[in-house]
Amino acid sequence: MPDQPTELVQGTLDMLILKVLALQPMHGYGIASRIEQMSAGTFHVNPGSLFPAFRRLERAGWIEPEWKESETSRRAKYYRLTSSGRKQFKAETAAWGRQIAAIARILEA
Amino acid sequence: MSLLKSFTAGLRSLFRRRQADHEMDDDLRQFLEASVEDKIRRGMNRNDAIRAARVEMGSFESVKDGIRSASWETGLESFGRDLRHSVRVLRTNAGFSIVVILTLALGIGANTAIFSLFDALMLRALPIERPQELLRIGRLNPHYDSEPNPTFTNPLWEQIRDRPEALSNAFAWSNDRLDLSQGGAVQYANTLWVSGDYFRALGIRPAAGRLLTTGDDRRGCAPTAVLSNAFWQQRFGGDERAIGSSITLNNHAFQLVGVAPRGFSGITVGRSFDVAVPLCAADVIDSPQTRRLDIRAWWWLNIAARPKPGFSPAQINASLAAISPQVFGAVVPQNWDPQGRRNFVKSLLSAEPASDITGGIRTQFGQPLRVLLAIVGVVLLIACANIASLMMARSSNRRKEIAVRLALGASRARLIRQLLAESLLLSFAGAVLGTFVARWASALLVRYISTTRNQVFLDLSIDGRVLAFTAAIATLTGILFGILPAFRSTHVSLSPAMKGDADATPTRRLHSGKWIVSAQIALSLALVAAAGLFLRSFVKLASLEIGFQQDNVLIINTNLQTAKVPVAARLSTADAIESRLRAVPGVLSAAHSWNTPVSGYGWNDYVGSDTPDGPSGEDRLVWFNFISPGYFETLRTSLLSGRNFNAHDTPESQKVAIVSATFARKFFRNRDPIGGIFYIDPKAGKANAPILVVGVVKDSKYESLREETASIAFYPLSQIPGNAETMSFELRTAVSPLSLVGPIQSAVGEVNKAIPLDFRTLSRQLEDNIVTERVLALLSTFFGGLALLLAMVGLYGTLSYLVARRQKEFGVRMALGARPGFIVSLVMRDIAIVLAAGLGAGIAISLSSVGVLRKLLFGLAPRDAVTITSTVILLAAVAIVAAWLPARRAGRIDPMVALRHE
Repeated sequence: MPDQPTELVQGTLDMLILKVLALQPMHGYGIASRIEQMSAGTFHVNPGSLFPAFRRLERAGWIEPEWKESETSRRAKYYRLTSSGRKQFKAETAAWGRQIAAIARILEA
Repeated sequence: MSLLKSFTAGLRSLFRRRQADHEMDDDLRQFLEASVEDKIRRGMNRNDAIRAARVEMGSFESVKDGIRSASWETGLESFGRDLRHSVRVLRTNAGFSIVVILTLALGIGANTAIFSLFDALMLRALPIERPQELLRIGRLNPHYDSEPNPTFTNPLWEQIRDRPEALSNAFAWSNDRLDLSQGGAVQYANTLWVSGDYFRALGIRPAAGRLLTTGDDRRGCAPTAVLSNAFWQQRFGGDERAIGSSITLNNHAFQLVGVAPRGFSGITVGRSFDVAVPLCAADVIDSPQTRRLDIRAWWWLNIAARPKPGFSPAQINASLAAISPQVFGAVVPQNWDPQGRRNFVKSLLSAEPASDITGGIRTQFGQPLRVLLAIVGVVLLIACANIASLMMARSSNRRKEIAVRLALGASRARLIRQLLAESLLLSFAGAVLGTFVARWASALLVRYISTTRNQVFLDLSIDGRVLAFTAAIATLTGILFGILPAFRSTHVSLSPAMKGDADATPTRRLHSGKWIVSAQIALSLALVAAAGLFLRSFVKLASLEIGFQQDNVLIINTNLQTAKVPVAARLSTADAIESRLRAVPGVLSAAHSWNTPVSGYGWNDYVGSDTPDGPSGEDRLVWFNFISPGYFETLRTSLLSGRNFNAHDTPESQKVAIVSATFARKFFRNRDPIGGIFYIDPKAGKANAPILVVGVVKDSKYESLREETASIAFYPLSQIPGNAETMSFELRTAVSPLSLVGPIQSAVGEVNKAIPLDFRTLSRQLEDNIVTERVLALLSTFFGGLALLLAMVGLYGTLSYLVARRQKEFGVRMALGARPGFIVSLVMRDIAIVLAAGLGAGIAISLSSVGVLRKLLFGLAPRDAVTITSTVILLAAVAIVAAWLPARRAGRIDPMVALRHE
């Protein structure tokens, strides 16, 4: 039984998008459903926050769009991680790991 | 890199908005389709899937809005929208906008005008190579001077020039005027005397021909000249053929060798030049008896230099101090008394950065400009307060619009931004218009502070600093008058506001308007007090007992040396001219003299009398003039006792003098001065002939209107020592003095056509002496009046508004039996507190800040009780009138009308 969908922790959406794209290039809906899938239904990302995040990441130069045939053999806009995006993802993951560990320590104390 | 990417991507979507919009639509549609297909795959039927996907997505527009807000260009875009909206709003309120823009144009324009003068005078770097390293050389006599004196004699300059131990590129210059005419009405060329190295040291390159070099500046040189670019354009139309030709200066031909570059006007701030001539050419112009190149007490040169490479300021001053004894020792003024000569040798040379030098026009106008800058700043502040009140009143009319926009989901921040955009638009429109006002006003001001003898030249082109200043005050004013109304008017409770209920704003908030008025009263009181001080100080100066009658006196300055009148014939030539002038119709009386009152020139010396308890120290200083017998009659200075000069006073007869009343009192005490004897201090050991007092005249001003009453001795021209190079004629006329210029020129021409004539009225000469006080009095009165007007308009407006808002309340009170007088007193009592607070604060501001005016006032302490008291009374009276009008209206409210108003 999956948990009820919850709001994402503030500021983690960018990181999750980068994570999904680190595996393979993906189109918008694909990214959303992949995040939902990978979180086993915990996180539901709506387009209202997803698309502004794409714009942000694109402007930062971490992801870039490319046009590809989709699974349904239609031309679709895919996002791909750039090399600086990969670096950013590693940095964010490391930072996140430290934060999680710290929070866990506090909660367990 | 990513910044650049973001920037270009932003620009792209800014300029190709429709395409960017389409792209977003495409992306969202794709997402929607993918979502629908996914849902169908999971077993939904098509219609349900479409509905579910739509619900998940929400409205396309709000998602797109989210995307847009993730990009910087959106801020710019919405700012553009705000501006367009503002233009529309302001256009529909054209009357309001025009009043505000004009007020601001005046306020910002005045600030920009004064600042651009200040900038040109105090802040701008000289247009030369490496201006920051230029050193100004001074001399410090440890016995007299508290700070270095920047003037030098030519013998001193030659000593410094020939000792290059401490300085490189030393050069000397002097600002002067020489006459271009060859007889008749003078036509002065602002002349720059320069040493040979002047142009090379400053790194100036010629625009045509060549500039002066050390080769041009040798004793016995043939006179050469370099023109300023402006003068070359004006007089020769920029024709290169002018080079090689010659111009006449004081009746001597100077060969033109070249033209200085455009924009170079010398290095004396506030002065410009038409021609530059080498120092050595002074010998051509000066008479053999008074050669400024050799006189050791003719202080006419300024000296500057660049430091030797690698020398620190301390090292430079040390090596200057080391050479000082030899420099000063070699050129001691021959006719000084022994004590003065001993002190002279102890003088020290010093160097300080030329940019720090204050002197001349900087000293004269630096402080007045600072004061004016403060005054116009406060005026702008008061104007801002008015506009803020106006906007506040207007925003209550817009409450409905604002409430609707808030209800439709506009955020408060967004609305405040919108309202601020409106105020900034107003303030920048005012600033643009104000820049034009400023250009006109600052040029006018420069003309106004220019005197006939000192033409002020300032580069008033608008530079980056002035632009930045204007933009900064425009932004500041826009925010200042916009922020409070913006916050206030967006703070509304929605439903009553939308219903149009006038009382939707809590009345507590209305009171802030009154405190704005209070601040306005305080500030305008300070300005009116300052204006009162300047005005009283100016009136004191202008109505001083000057000892002669200034109206309808024409002064004609002539130069007999330039006209090449032989020394022996000079006095008789002047006598002949005087008698011709007396015959000109319209001339009541005529005289001539060596000097004229308050001309800026003077001659003084220490005097001793045969009275045992005579004055000592500086009290022995006496000012001299040489006059023809008609002088006192022409100037209407009354002879108190004794006789006037007459034909029996000849070079061979007993030396005689007519002294001023103060002279008589100081030197002869209770004795009868007539028949008394005095001596001018002996020079170089040689005793001077005794001088017999034959008359006493009323005290009069000699050099400046500001001076303490001076001791003056008048001598007959027939006994003048030396050779009377220059001579001034004074005419008392029955008609307007300047209308006689034509007939006078022909009358003088009958005697000698070569004599240059410089006309001015005595009253103009006196005005030139108090130009700073006049400008300060005029401008501070203007701005003080403006401040007062603005404050009273503010008071009237705010109170009218308050009364209108309380109409219903007053109606109810009156319906319940309150009498009109009670309502009026209710309003007046309310405003009395505001007024009292404003006046109190204003007095405090005045008393604490007028101290800085001390140096600018004449015969008046800054905390002058009369001025401050009358200012307070004036302000209170005007304020009560301004408040009385709306208060009376409150008393006339018809309760029926007021209550039916709902």
